[in-house]
Amino acid sequence: MDTVRDIISVLSAFVIPLLLIGFPLYGLIKGVRVYEVFVEGAKEGFKVAVTIIPYLVAILFAIGMFRASGAMDFLIAALDPVMSFIGIPSEVLPMGLIRPLTGSGSAAIVLDMINQYGEDALVVKMAATMFGSTETTFYVIAVYFGAVNIRNTRHAVPAGLIADFVGLLASVYVVRLLFG
Amino acid sequence: MLNYIWAGLIVFSMLFALATDFSEILKDRFRNQEPFPVTLQLPDSYNAQDRRTEVQVVMDSGTYQHFFGTQERPAASYAGVLVQTQDGSQLQFGSNTTLPEPLLTMQAYHARNDGDPLRATLPPAFRPDSSVVTTTVQFAPVRFRKLKDIGQAALDFAETAASLALGLIGVLALFLGMLKIAEAAGIIHSLSRFVQPILRPLFPEIPKDHPALAMISLNLLANVFGLGNAATPLGIKAMEELQTLNPSEDTATNSMVMLLALNTSSVQLVPPVLLVAIMGLQINQLVFSITLATLFSTIAGILAAKFLSRTRRNRASDPMLNAAS
Repeated sequence: MDTVRDIISVLSAFVIPLLLIGFPLYGLIKGVRVYEVFVEGAKEGFKVAVTIIPYLVAILFAIGMFRASGAMDFLIAALDPVMSFIGIPSEVLPMGLIRPLTGSGSAAIVLDMINQYGEDALVVKMAATMFGSTETTFYVIAVYFGAVNIRNTRHAVPAGLIADFVGLLASVYVVRLLFG
Repeated sequence: MLNYIWAGLIVFSMLFALATDFSEILKDRFRNQEPFPVTLQLPDSYNAQDRRTEVQVVMDSGTYQHFFGTQERPAASYAGVLVQTQDGSQLQFGSNTTLPEPLLTMQAYHARNDGDPLRATLPPAFRPDSSVVTTTVQFAPVRFRKLKDIGQAALDFAETAASLALGLIGVLALFLGMLKIAEAAGIIHSLSRFVQPILRPLFPEIPKDHPALAMISLNLLANVFGLGNAATPLGIKAMEELQTLNPSEDTATNSMVMLLALNTSSVQLVPPVLLVAIMGLQINQLVFSITLATLFSTIAGILAAKFLSRTRRNRASDPMLNAAS
């Protein structure tokens, strides 16, 4: 396991540079006008940031109040025996609840947890992995089935939620295995 | 669902805060309005005319524990300042040391900024005549502390939410630009040919050479490369192609459910831009945990979609089977 961790820590240095150099290089080879296309895509940055503000405010203020009231500590302490039985820290529970429902809201949870536990904390890595590895299932189902007027979704919701649940569990175990 | 969770968070914080506040009032945790005995050690150079005098505050630990009904033990002495104000003498302490509870909570309650000292008023008759005086002090009352806290937290977090989001603009722009290049370079189109044979067994209902499978592979590849903006329209196109194969108008086929399951769980090589913007360089490591976790969730999604389609209820509602019979 230690060698795997070593390999990852070496490889991880390449991830961002690979993206930042690889994509333009690949575009160049394919004859894309890379600079213009980059700028066009980058224009979206402002729009995305502004679009998520209402979602961030909605979730962050509610979570912030919940934390400040002491209810969060109470909930975490109350659920700890159950959660530690399956090996999940209760701190990541809000993420597991919110993730299938809202994407920007989950981003708010990650931000709140960084605020609370620090960027390097294992629980933050777990929550971030959860955010990255599962989708806003209900939104996807609504959009995709809505587009073709499917009303009887049959086993789509249970299948999506099973995948989500496994993704959430796997995030916790994988992070513990790789960085724990 | 989200409506209930959201409202629940707000209502529960309110109830929890009120419960805590009322129990503190009932137990009189902060001994509001009660004088508390302390001993002050004044310097030799003490002059009653001085506006500020450095003093040592000594709290007897037995008295302290009895007074506040706590097990906390105060330190031998605390550095403080004796301040002459228009309203009489005031004692300030605890700005650079950690006070024992519940004084710490009282300090935080009254503090306007971090590091503000705890303030206490001395009796009007306070006239020190030696370098060690025993007197009583009175703290400002603490009431509805949690209620004030949650209001403050709500305002603080609303403010941080906006400033955090604006702080993400730069990194979001950088990665959205990069992804746009990848999209324009046709990264998903060039890989689509290789993925289709892998996807084929998952969609047995799709006839050979039907465009649906190509659309599905493009949609899933867009997910893999974190091209969220491109993935949704491709996914909708894939759905429309699947709908042309669907004998029913409003009932999902097994292929549609499989597409959904793969979408919600899909392997992610490039994490979502929002996460990259939030986590910064930490994403370097998270890429590995995310890829691995999605590998498991994809397997689970495929298995769930496959096995759930074989239950009696889902066989009965399967539009493909119904059309065949």
